Amino acid sequence: MQQRLLSWLAITLTVLASAWARSSAGDKVLVVSDAKLEAAEYSQFWDGLKNRGYELTFRKTSEEAPATSSFDVPSFSHIIVFAPSTKTYPADISPQSLVHLLSDPTQPTNILFVLQPSTPSSPLRDLGREFGISFPPPATPLIDYFNAVSPSNATSLLLTPPVTPHTPGFNGGDVLYSGVAHLRSNNPLLVDFLNAPPTSFSADPLEPADVIVEVAASGGEGFWAGGRMGLVTGFEVLRGGGRATWVGSLDLFRNAATAINGKPTANNAYALALASWTFQETSVLRIDSVEHRRISESSPRDQYRIKDDLIYRIHVSAYNPATGEWEPTSQIDDMQLEFTMLDPHIRTALSPVQGEKGWYETKFRAPDRHGVFKFIVDWRRKRYTALHSSTTVSVVPFRHNEYPRFLSSAWPYYLGALSTSAAFVLFCALWLLGGNEEEKKKTQ
Amino acid sequence: MTILKLPTFAPSTLTNAASLIRILALAFIAGAAISSRLFAVINFESIIHEFDPWFNYRATRVLASQGFTEFWNWFDPTAWYPLGRVVGGTIYPGLMATSGVIYNILHALHLPVDIRNVCVLLAPGFSGLTAWATYMLTKELKDESAGLLAAIFIGIAPGYISRSVAGSYDNEAIAIFLLMITFYIWIRALKDGSVLYGTLAAVFYFYMVAAWGGYAFITNMIPLHAFVLLLMGRFSHRLYSAYSAWYAVGTLASMQVPFVGFQPVLTSEHMAALGVFGLLQLVAFVETIRNLLASKQFQLMLRWFLIAAGVAGGLIIVGLTVTKTIAPWTGRFYSLWDTGYAKKYIPIIASVSEHQPTAWPAFFMDLHMLIFLFPAGVVLCFKELREEHVFVIIYSVMASYFAGVMVRLMLTLTPVVCMTAAIALSSLLDTYLNVDEPANPDANGVKETATSGAETPVDGTISKKKKKGVAAAAAAAAVTPSIATKAKGRSSAENGIFGIDTRILVIGNAIFMLVMFVLHCTWVTSTAYSSPSVVLASRRPDGSQNIIDDFREAYYWLRQNTPQDSVVMSWWDYGYQIAGMADRPTLVDNNTWNNTHIATVGKAMSSPEEISYPILRKHDVDYILVIFGGLIGYSGDDVNKFLWMVRIAQGVWPDEIKESNYFTPRGEYKVDDQASEAMKNSLMYKMSYYRFNDLFSGAPAFDRVRNQQMPKEGPKLDYIEEAFTSENWIVRIYKVKKEDPLGRDLKTAHAFDGGKRRKPSKPISRRKALAA
Amino acid sequence: MRLLYGVLLLVASLSAAVAQVTHAELVRLAAANNGVIKLNPVLYDALTAPNRQWSAAIQFTALSPQFKCSPCSDFNPSFKSVAKAWSKVHSAERDQHFFATLDFLEGQDVFKRLGLSSAPVLQFFPALEGPSVRPNPQRLEFSYDFSRHGFDAEELAKDLSNHTPIPIPYTAPFNWQPWFFGFTFLVLSLVAGRFAWIYLREIISNRWLWAAATVGLTLVMTSGYMFVQIRGMPYAQHNSMIAGGFQNQFGIEVNLVAALYGLLGASYLALILLVPRIPSPIRQRASVYLWTGILFVLFSILISFFRIKNGGYPFKLLL
Repeated sequence: MQQRLLSWLAITLTVLASAWARSSAGDKVLVVSDAKLEAAEYSQFWDGLKNRGYELTFRKTSEEAPATSSFDVPSFSHIIVFAPSTKTYPADISPQSLVHLLSDPTQPTNILFVLQPSTPSSPLRDLGREFGISFPPPATPLIDYFNAVSPSNATSLLLTPPVTPHTPGFNGGDVLYSGVAHLRSNNPLLVDFLNAPPTSFSADPLEPADVIVEVAASGGEGFWAGGRMGLVTGFEVLRGGGRATWVGSLDLFRNAATAINGKPTANNAYALALASWTFQETSVLRIDSVEHRRISESSPRDQYRIKDDLIYRIHVSAYNPATGEWEPTSQIDDMQLEFTMLDPHIRTALSPVQGEKGWYETKFRAPDRHGVFKFIVDWRRKRYTALHSSTTVSVVPFRHNEYPRFLSSAWPYYLGALSTSAAFVLFCALWLLGGNEEEKKKTQ
Repeated sequence: MTILKLPTFAPSTLTNAASLIRILALAFIAGAAISSRLFAVINFESIIHEFDPWFNYRATRVLASQGFTEFWNWFDPTAWYPLGRVVGGTIYPGLMATSGVIYNILHALHLPVDIRNVCVLLAPGFSGLTAWATYMLTKELKDESAGLLAAIFIGIAPGYISRSVAGSYDNEAIAIFLLMITFYIWIRALKDGSVLYGTLAAVFYFYMVAAWGGYAFITNMIPLHAFVLLLMGRFSHRLYSAYSAWYAVGTLASMQVPFVGFQPVLTSEHMAALGVFGLLQLVAFVETIRNLLASKQFQLMLRWFLIAAGVAGGLIIVGLTVTKTIAPWTGRFYSLWDTGYAKKYIPIIASVSEHQPTAWPAFFMDLHMLIFLFPAGVVLCFKELREEHVFVIIYSVMASYFAGVMVRLMLTLTPVVCMTAAIALSSLLDTYLNVDEPANPDANGVKETATSGAETPVDGTISKKKKKGVAAAAAAAAVTPSIATKAKGRSSAENGIFGIDTRILVIGNAIFMLVMFVLHCTWVTSTAYSSPSVVLASRRPDGSQNIIDDFREAYYWLRQNTPQDSVVMSWWDYGYQIAGMADRPTLVDNNTWNNTHIATVGKAMSSPEEISYPILRKHDVDYILVIFGGLIGYSGDDVNKFLWMVRIAQGVWPDEIKESNYFTPRGEYKVDDQASEAMKNSLMYKMSYYRFNDLFSGAPAFDRVRNQQMPKEGPKLDYIEEAFTSENWIVRIYKVKKEDPLGRDLKTAHAFDGGKRRKPSKPISRRKALAA
Repeated sequence: MRLLYGVLLLVASLSAAVAQVTHAELVRLAAANNGVIKLNPVLYDALTAPNRQWSAAIQFTALSPQFKCSPCSDFNPSFKSVAKAWSKVHSAERDQHFFATLDFLEGQDVFKRLGLSSAPVLQFFPALEGPSVRPNPQRLEFSYDFSRHGFDAEELAKDLSNHTPIPIPYTAPFNWQPWFFGFTFLVLSLVAGRFAWIYLREIISNRWLWAAATVGLTLVMTSGYMFVQIRGMPYAQHNSMIAGGFQNQFGIEVNLVAALYGLLGASYLALILLVPRIPSPIRQRASVYLWTGILFVLFSILISFFRIKNGGYPFKLLL
């Protein structure tokens, strides 16, 4: 946690010093592209990124340098994979190392994957499966006769992605999409950005009718069709906040797609909006600090006693890409705290503190059970950075001198002890006196 | 008539010399007792042994560094993670308090001794005191010479050494001394009828309660003694005052130990003492009335009243037990009587090796010739049958039964065997060292009365003995005073031994036996009982010693390479060692108080990876430690203990874990090709044999403990990864992987890392349900 | 799967057709024999039909004396008493579960079909159809684990209760017999003791009698009697009288070792108590030599015995 904060801080500082990159994670971008790919065809996209303060480094998949990481420290904050046709990648951008970079718990590298239907068997297809995304057979682009640009070209579609706060800069409009669709598994880490139209399906564009006939015969099994299919899918890894986005169309980013038949499209805005989510510009949250203490005290302890009244506070900030600063946010209204030993013993709402922006707190009484407990905040909402914090404390029983000292129910015992003592003293006195008399008798 | 003319001394010189020799002998005995326990330190190093001592040591360090109050309130969050352990209330603090006091005294004297050395040497130190206490008790039974013999016996008998070598820092280290001293003071209290001694006995009883769970032995021995004396019609006011003082003060004092609390009035183990206490009050009352009143009818009435009250008291106790007001016998004690009980209901107790019954070689190993002098001594006790002899007889019956049932209780048998054997041997020496000869009936009825019998120590045989070292100290002292006193009484007796050759023969034989005994004890102590079991020793083919230090290597690896708060899971045997040496939180340890938690670990070990993984994650386990002996043939490894894990887990989850699944169809316990599926898939099996094949570079792997050939294909691990394996592969540590960042199950993730392709999936038709 | 079911159904319906065994018939058979149905192969097939709406616990046994199956006869009473307890249940639940027994003599081919090579086996067949089908974990066929539960009726009832429609209301019958005899014996012995008190008193207060008992007990205990008892070790084995291994022994070793210890102790006692009383010097000398010799020889035997157990023991005497 500490390390992560520090690295963030360092990155933020450098960013502030250099220019003003919009990303919370860093501004170095590596663009990996097919050997045959003409970078100039996408210049509008590159310019858009550069305008937002990113430093782009281009590299063909046939080249070995620059490496994505040196000595296990990632060299770039973001990677754009424009390499749908490459069959083999160099070792440092192999699927395994891309996953490794993406899932780094402290300094993840965000990745934008772009595919193309023509790709026969790109390793990216296999990689998609690891994320829970599966692709239809090769060379079967998305076909839709209802949303097509022209009936003769049913693979170029005009779609209207939804406008969300997570994709700022995109304010509606049609987007030209010509590419492949995919199917999402029920992996909860997947985030849907754009779905295929309900009337679309994947098939060989030369003989689409054959597929439909075949599928109709088999009762619809194995038919890649309908609104469940995804076109643009985001992914947020479990720990570390790394983000990946899968886009099924390389043409989406092409300069040529910014206008169709003379009419401008929203392609560039949408592409940049997708990049801004992927590169952790928007919907980025973090936990700045966590406090816990007894209500009656001001500093935290390693261990609390059972039935102590505790207070737990957490400070959350959101990243503001406009200013490039972290600002406290009190927008979250459904955060919960769990006080857990094996199972949650207490689960309670963390509500924003009035007047202290960014702070959320809850007060509760520790359970009557000693053991090693954890304060756990685990807030996961789609498209937002997951917030996770776990703090371990032990809850101890009463100390031996903290129990009530005099019990009313013990009065019979107190009386018994007192009366026995008194009787003993009395007996001693009488016995001593009696002894004297006996001696007297004897002497007489 | 004497066979030797001995120089005469003044009686005062004689007594002075005798007491000087006695003191010297005792000092030598203590020295012998201590030094024979130092084999472990010399062979290995000054190190804490085994398992439980590691906890005691750790607790003592807390006590020494933070003081007694903090120790009392100590809550240990690293044990039984995440439940934690309230240490202050769940231990017998006597041992730690003792070494804490010694440590503080030494430091007050500006002797900067390390607390570890205090702990290591505590047991040998107390063995010297035990020898002294045994001397005192045996002196009460017979005389000083028997006492000295008993002291040397207990000093070097392996049965006691096994639990008190240097480094075995366990409760028993001081408990046997406390046992003997409490018994001695009880006998003194009984002999004198002294309330003061009775109270003193209670004070030592309290110390014993604070030190060892075995205090229940005293709690039941003394009442039993009192009860038997009552039955024998030997009620006396001495018995009454000694017992009452002991019981009242002792019970109140014992309740001050937090771990004991209200048990003395609430559990069955303590009811005998309470019952005898009540009975004694009744009997004393009746006796008093009888002395005051003469009427015969009244006495008869009283007698019936006594019987009725006794029966009523007994019924009340039975009734309270039935209604559960008085807790029934705890499992550990109950299993002593019903020997099949533990195996059936509490497998945890049955799984401990020191709770197994004892075969005869163990008795001979631990007691050597004492074991057959023991019955002879018991018979001699019957001959005199004073009150203290009754005590010894009861003690020997109870202790020999207990030692037969449980190996570890050999410890309580050893002192009584030493005492009775000393009585027997010293009687023998008394008889045959007596220089007086009886009148010879063949010599024409000439009856010579020996007059100067008293002044006759030491002829050739005895001086020869002195060279025999340790045995001599005892035997020599045995001679002097006893002859001085006994011979006077016997000088005119007709019984006795004729001739000098017979004497030399018998005494020589006895000395020979003693020498054998000393050799035996030394051999057993040095070979069998001085291994710290943390460090193992083996012999190389050329005979040189090979030290196997895998345990410490692995524990130190954990200490230096893992974060302070990483949780380590292992079978409970190693919990204390991990806490003590690696300083990491553990799930379960040797304080087996929570069966469910242990069963959870058992389940995690005996289930396949994918079932274990959620359990591991739920308990925040970071590392798993297993002991594997298959490479060098260390038989105490986890695969051999595995069935207990299965059994204990089965007790809690009978539907999920079944012991029979871990055997081959033919009912064999196998790890080779024929091993059952459940066995091969279990986490324990996989962790033990992971990459084991690689060691044999192509040749089939061979498990040297189970003498079985391993399958060609070794196990694969997906959810955990190997982190460390010690030099001889005894300790293997695995790291539990975190959840996959991409949300896959770890098996898939591992396959992906290995470069395997995943099968493509196809969309499922939503209309399928309708079509069907 | 479905095919298999079909075949099974066919077989079942055939056999049912042969015998016309209905649920009512099974109920009648159970009621007729204290809750236990005596099976033959036909009845067995009917009871375990794959469309059964009831569950069944079937005891496979071999009770006839020619098989010498003592565990069978050990277990049979427990099974019967549990079945009897079940027959007391209200008929709505009772008729959902049957207890049945199949003897090897009656149904050899059933034994063969099931691959049973040993008896007794208690197999539980859950209901497969109808209202009494249980949730998943209780739905499996299983055989009762004797090694874990033993032959006890109480354990059997407890374990089967997890699978029957309602728990079996089994309570261990109170065994009056030992109490009755015990009480009678106590009264008789009290009466007898009252009259024979003078003699009894002599015996009870004879210390040497007590000494003999005590010494006997300690000898037996220190010779590993409890080990043999608890571990159920055999008295001896055909080829050897001495068990190998340090932590192991046979029953006969208790006798041998106890005798050795006893004789050694006795020879010491003889030297201490008896020898000094012999008035004649020659006889005394002879007995001193005799007893010392015995002592030495016996001790050597003991040590050599110990060397068998513990191969590494370095000391030896005569042997």
